[in-house]
Amino acid sequence: MRTSETHHDRPLIPGRAQILPLLVCAAALASGGSPLRAEEPDASARAQAQKLAVTVCGTCHGQEGNNTQPKFPRLAGQNPTYLAAQLKAFRSQGRGDPDAISYMWGMAAELDDDTIAALAAYYAGQKPESGPRADQAAITRGREIYERGIPAEGVPACSSCHGADAHGQQDFPRLAGQHEQYILKQLGSFQSNMRKVAIMHGVAQNLRAAEMESVAAFLQSQP
Amino acid sequence: MSGRTIGGASTFLASGLLAVALLAAASAADAVPSFARQTGMACEACHTVYPELTHFGRVFKANGYVLSNVKQVRDVTGKKEELLSLAQSVPLSIMAQVSYTQMKTTVPDLSAAGAPGVAQNGTAGFPQQLSLFYAGKIAPNFGAFIQLTYANDSGTIGIDNTDLRFADTTLLGDNKPLTYGISLNNNPTVQDLWNTTPAWGYPYTATNAAVSPLAGTAIDGAFAQDVAGLTGYLYWNESLYAEVGGYRSAKQGQVNALTGGAGPLDGTASNVMSGLAPYWRAAYEYNRGAHSLELGVYGAQFRLYPGAGAPLSGPLNRFNDVAEDLQYQYVSDEHQVTIAGTHIHESMTLDASFANGGSANPTDNLSTTRLWATYYYRRKIGATLAYFSTTGSADPGLYPSTVAAPGGNPGVIVSANGSPDTRGWMAEVNYVPWLNVKIAAQYTVYNKFNGAGSNYDGLGRSASDNNTLYLLLWFAY
Repeated sequence: MRTSETHHDRPLIPGRAQILPLLVCAAALASGGSPLRAEEPDASARAQAQKLAVTVCGTCHGQEGNNTQPKFPRLAGQNPTYLAAQLKAFRSQGRGDPDAISYMWGMAAELDDDTIAALAAYYAGQKPESGPRADQAAITRGREIYERGIPAEGVPACSSCHGADAHGQQDFPRLAGQHEQYILKQLGSFQSNMRKVAIMHGVAQNLRAAEMESVAAFLQSQP
Repeated sequence: MSGRTIGGASTFLASGLLAVALLAAASAADAVPSFARQTGMACEACHTVYPELTHFGRVFKANGYVLSNVKQVRDVTGKKEELLSLAQSVPLSIMAQVSYTQMKTTVPDLSAAGAPGVAQNGTAGFPQQLSLFYAGKIAPNFGAFIQLTYANDSGTIGIDNTDLRFADTTLLGDNKPLTYGISLNNNPTVQDLWNTTPAWGYPYTATNAAVSPLAGTAIDGAFAQDVAGLTGYLYWNESLYAEVGGYRSAKQGQVNALTGGAGPLDGTASNVMSGLAPYWRAAYEYNRGAHSLELGVYGAQFRLYPGAGAPLSGPLNRFNDVAEDLQYQYVSDEHQVTIAGTHIHESMTLDASFANGGSANPTDNLSTTRLWATYYYRRKIGATLAYFSTTGSADPGLYPSTVAAPGGNPGVIVSANGSPDTRGWMAEVNYVPWLNVKIAAQYTVYNKFNGAGSNYDGLGRSASDNNTLYLLLWFAY
């Protein structure tokens, strides 16, 4: 654990900050095997998924995936590859953060691949809303970490995997507009390894609570 | 508490003589592990701490208890019509309550004429109650909450709260869900979604070994497990709720004097409803972030034959109940806060009882207010503070000053001044070591009981003599 608070004032090292995350992302894609690809659902599957999403998932996640309850993630605009992979991880009980166990292991237990693909497509097609803006200083600091990382502490720029606009790509989730509280809980779960994602475990271990809060505040405010 | 259906006898005042009728009653328990097994979700999805429902729990109930995430035995036609969808695990649960009750001052011993002694103080209920549930899906849009209960006061097993539901949800053009359903149930408000109405309101459980006040409104549990009701409801966008329906007497353990069968009901039965008792309910719930706010109204109108030896014809007693309710919840991982309450106003038109001397007035009124606030830390340690008050017009016929006993009038359960007024507080602390096990200590303080603070029974007993300590171990599996 770090004890120094002085790193905020240290100059960033752009070169390293950019190279490291690219390597990490490449490794993640390689080690994960071929990326999951959601099949295009037909009209009937889309209608069924819409009903399921609104009437069941929507109670917690919001009817169009833009809920206000910070315990549950916003799903509107989430990239479908990531979302399908998560639903499959819930189904196989491979994702083990507390709310995954309490809620999603059950909810996803009997979902078939077609339904998962259709649900992922439904949420991908919804228009995301940005969340409320928090303290501007935190947002500024969060943006800095998000875009440039903290090279001296081995924290890569989040943007290198999650995209400059935090809209995600492939296996990497969209984070823009996500609830600050949800992001913090996930970072905590990565840190404790309850949610086992090697890259994020490494990242979260090197982040202090205040830094996590800044990044989460920044992401929540993004469109 | 007055007239509640929970945890013990509830009082009701609508018999032929409008004397007190003690109805066997059951504990609230809208929280059973078979739902968790069926959905694969932890208790916290549907409950803050059982039996209080979260928004998700209310939606689950409105949808007929059918959300199922377990493997099914299925039968499907070529047109994808589902003929059967049967969970491979049976949704059964058991629930037990073990309790200890200590009154501040015990009651007289009535075992013999002129018995000078007093009853034992300190009642162990082992169990106070033991229940078996079928709680879960029956068919794709058809679910049930059925409770069978053994209670130590009756020493028998009987039907307890039951709610059979058909429900479905459709998407409206604007992508808003509309849930519609039908509930067949045996207790007005047992089908309700909020923990404000009588069947599932606070106190969620109470002793059955203390003294209950004389007065309670009719909708406040008087007909629990004694009626059959069919109601239809709409729940728009998980926020606006409307329900109407009717109840009819469905007496348990009642035998027709002529046929020896379960019916038809005749004049030997008391409080038999004339026709259907209409029930109505409207509520609006607003959810934002971790906050949930509900405002609602509900009511019913009961027209009763006094019965108890009088023919089921002629004048009726009418009870018109109108109530408001409110619930605020804040639910996060760390903190769970609930502030809730209800106010029930009852107008009585006692044509039958006034004619036969059962009431002193042709009309009476009665109001009950209950307010409570609950806080839990991490669903582990919690406390509740509750206020309750019943006020109404004095009527020495309804709330008599004497009761017959071998040694003369023993007091305690009477009202010397004919007033129904009862007021007090409840404080409760809870420890929930696991989400299906609760340990509770509850203390009830009466400032006023059956019309007065001191000497309410005319024999020197004070309201505070009925203060009660209740210790409870409550678990379900």
